[in-house]
Amino acid sequence: MSDAMIIVLTAGLTATALALLGPFLVLRRVALMGDAVSHAVLPGIVAAFLVFQTRAPLVVILGAAAFALICVLAIEALRGTGLVASDAAIGLVFPALFALGVLGIHRYAANIHLDLDSTIYGEIAFAPFRTLDLGGVEVVRSVLIMGVVAAVNLGLITLLWKELKVTSFDPDFARSIRFSPTVVARLLLIAVAVTAVTAFESVGAILVVALLIVPAAAAYLMTDRLVAMVAIAVAIGWVSSVVGYAGAVEVDASIAGAMGLTAAVIFGIALLASPRHGLIARAVRRARTRRAVERALAEERGAQGAGA
Amino acid sequence: MSMARRLLPALVAIVVVVLLGAACASDSSTSGGDVGERPVRVTTTANFITDLAEVIGGERVEVTGLLGPGVDPHLYKASAGDVAALRDADVVFYGGLDLEGRMADVLDELSDDKPTIAVSEGIPDDRKRQPTEFEGKFDPHIWFSVPLWREAVDVVEQAYVELDPDNADGYRERADAYRAELEALDAEVRETLASIPDDKRVLVTSHDAFGYFGEEYDFEVVGIQGTSTATEATTADIDRVAGVIADRGLEAVFIESTVSPQTIRAVLAAAERRGQTARIGGELFADAAGERGTPEGTYIGMVRHNVGLIAEGLAPSGSR
Repeated sequence: MSDAMIIVLTAGLTATALALLGPFLVLRRVALMGDAVSHAVLPGIVAAFLVFQTRAPLVVILGAAAFALICVLAIEALRGTGLVASDAAIGLVFPALFALGVLGIHRYAANIHLDLDSTIYGEIAFAPFRTLDLGGVEVVRSVLIMGVVAAVNLGLITLLWKELKVTSFDPDFARSIRFSPTVVARLLLIAVAVTAVTAFESVGAILVVALLIVPAAAAYLMTDRLVAMVAIAVAIGWVSSVVGYAGAVEVDASIAGAMGLTAAVIFGIALLASPRHGLIARAVRRARTRRAVERALAEERGAQGAGA
Repeated sequence: MSMARRLLPALVAIVVVVLLGAACASDSSTSGGDVGERPVRVTTTANFITDLAEVIGGERVEVTGLLGPGVDPHLYKASAGDVAALRDADVVFYGGLDLEGRMADVLDELSDDKPTIAVSEGIPDDRKRQPTEFEGKFDPHIWFSVPLWREAVDVVEQAYVELDPDNADGYRERADAYRAELEALDAEVRETLASIPDDKRVLVTSHDAFGYFGEEYDFEVVGIQGTSTATEATTADIDRVAGVIADRGLEAVFIESTVSPQTIRAVLAAAERRGQTARIGGELFADAAGERGTPEGTYIGMVRHNVGLIAEGLAPSGSR
């Protein structure tokens, strides 16, 4: 298999894992969770380094995952108090954790290169070179890891489908029929934290942040059905991966950057051209309404004139 | 449960894709005939390593450098073309000692396929600088000690000779000539710096790339910021460095091509308040040499540029 194929598969599987969760984050108005996690993992990396004195991927991932979980659960808890809005809760938690990480580096590790780029953030271009030996068969690590994560996420949202749906749209109703929105939300966020950290390690931060939100937000504009929204989000993720890779090769640019930009362009197209919620459809609908009103007014005036 | 049945095909699809991708890891190894009939394909990281690979390889090699001028190797972002550059290379030269950050893991895995060689590998541990806190972690910025960089010449020469033994004489000749050039450069550096009196031999820079330079040429190196580029200088750092400038009466401090000059301006302002007016002595090349085609685009040019600026900034006015 060619390097190109491996890169596209890695991106596509990462997009799948993220786009399965993204729609629920968009609907719950916590879409910035991915950004939050991307910064909040820093203290985990510092702690892992201080304890184990190594930057080995597994240790780094475990440290990062611990703080990713702390981050998402703290945001949810803060939201749960009802005193802080969603966006503010995100904005309060991750800078605090990032700051803790910066202090940790400054205090304990100022003289070594310990930062997010040199530890947790992977680079999708290098995916083909990173292989594992599984019983004599050479497998590409990122494809295996992201495939497993995507499958687990698929299983999770399948099992919790009804609960996720009800708690995303109407948490109060969910409570009244004894679904705990808190438990469902926590499970979703734990999946987000674990997915984000493994994806950072495989493909880097920018791609994760982009593919978590952008396909879901575009899909949101294109359908009113939740199943369709998730499916469209996954499809947009794959299209972004394939088109983005081709674009990156064409101009010899960053692969993750090109894929993220492609996703943004797709969102732009959805924003303009979505059949029901797009800007163009809306303008057409408004023009039609205006004409109908004008016609009705003109008829009324005509009727009055004839009566006089 | 109907939802579960509906999503089952999707789960199967993921599994198939994973099996497809995982089971057939890339076997597209280097192609295009044996070395000997065609030029040796070399891929390098930082641009002064590119320079070294070209000088020793001469006409026998085609070098692709991944990092351009002004790129901090720790923050390097790969482009789509870099994948092929690494895959098709006959040999990869890199800095090592964690200079390339996470890319080191990739280069390590690539070493099953082809030689990937850290140019710092020939340097014995007792000549490497070790930041105090951590065992086994060394300062990667070896290139500002010319004698240490001379060791890198041996590493590159050896790799070429093993890869392309038919042309071994050419590599040896070019390496010998370059070693002589580096010896002359080292002497020139010492002579240029001799104009700076002992009490002024303090190099204040924004980041810690000049540790080996300091040890080799007898400078005290005062970095405002630690080695990691993730943290920023604290007010205590700024105070400490401003104190050194005032106490030693330094007239110049230096900025680096890969680090923001903002912090060093804050230091100058703090030194000014202590009654010592210092200026920015210019921009030193730190983690990358200059543009290709300019004098500073080569290793030798980069060192000359730095040493010239340092001598000009720190030597007493009368001797200039």
